[in-house]
Amino acid sequence: MNGTIVVTGAARGIGRAIAEKMASTDPLTVIGVDIAPELALSESIIPVQVDLTTSEGPGLIRKAVEASGSPLLGLVNNAGITRDARLVNLTDDDFAAVLEINLGAAYRLTTELAPLMSEGGSIVNIASRAYLGNFGQFNYSMSKGGVVGMTRAMALSLAPHVRVNAVAPGLISSEMSMAIPEDIREKMVDSIPLDRMGTPNEIANTVWWLLTPLSSYITGEVVVVGGGRSLS
Amino acid sequence: MSGLIHWAEDVDEDWPSVLAELTRAFEAARSVAQGEESIVYVVRQDDLLGRRGAGNAIVACGLLSAARTAALEGARKGWTANVVAFDEADRSVVELWADRLLDDGSVNGELIRVGSGHIGKTLA
Repeated sequence: MNGTIVVTGAARGIGRAIAEKMASTDPLTVIGVDIAPELALSESIIPVQVDLTTSEGPGLIRKAVEASGSPLLGLVNNAGITRDARLVNLTDDDFAAVLEINLGAAYRLTTELAPLMSEGGSIVNIASRAYLGNFGQFNYSMSKGGVVGMTRAMALSLAPHVRVNAVAPGLISSEMSMAIPEDIREKMVDSIPLDRMGTPNEIANTVWWLLTPLSSYITGEVVVVGGGRSLS
Repeated sequence: MSGLIHWAEDVDEDWPSVLAELTRAFEAARSVAQGEESIVYVVRQDDLLGRRGAGNAIVACGLLSAARTAALEGARKGWTANVVAFDEADRSVVELWADRLLDDGSVNGELIRVGSGHIGKTLA
């Protein structure tokens, strides 16, 4: 593949692993959204800092893509946050913040960039295994379920030239999971058949596969990468 | 019976319209959960598959996921959260199933699909 890939939430964790994987395996230009210039490790990664919840944000990414001088081949909507609380205690602000960043930003950016994929492309939305339900995450689950719905609808509307899929990570070793109290995290690991947390690189490998022609007959699907947790 | 039967409303393709509908569903669910009453969201089967545009798909799939999480939380308190999806069914038939879910606390976190349109399609 030779072109440009946009990865949001690329400063750390899963997003960073995806950006580095894409930059290292193909002659690609990777636009890493949220990366401060001093943190860009690879010359193939163009750092861009944009607030995607603003109306101007997606347009600024579009300009960066156009300035890259190569066709847009892929988009990875990865940026996400958590603001956990039981439904009965969930505040309006925490509900809105999670929906805006996890879902609204992805929706607006995809709508902005999809027309640039005139030569074909692949979009990968990072959902979460929490789309199947997760205690204390009404807002996060709703946002990730919304990402799944967006994936299915856009897989239909952008076919046949652009494929759209989602990856639903389970418990992954990252800043987000490390914020979970240790005793709860250990219980969660005990319920994973593969008996460990996943790594950001394991998500990056799946995303890379969905971005490349190796997955050329797959669209509208949700790939759960969760160590078997959905069965236990 | 007591609780919430929330019908997802059609939305436009713009994000503010989508967010407004999701917020309406959240606020209604939070209110009944605080009273330890059960929740049923009603969506269109076509929207779970993304067949009527991204806005409606986001709402339908978002409500399904939210209901599953609410179901986990309600299970500790004795209330339930479920989703009814319909295609060509009469409204009265959908209401019958929704009422049944509110009445019968033994079903929780489920997607009840009224009609046959889902057969052979992806699991939600």
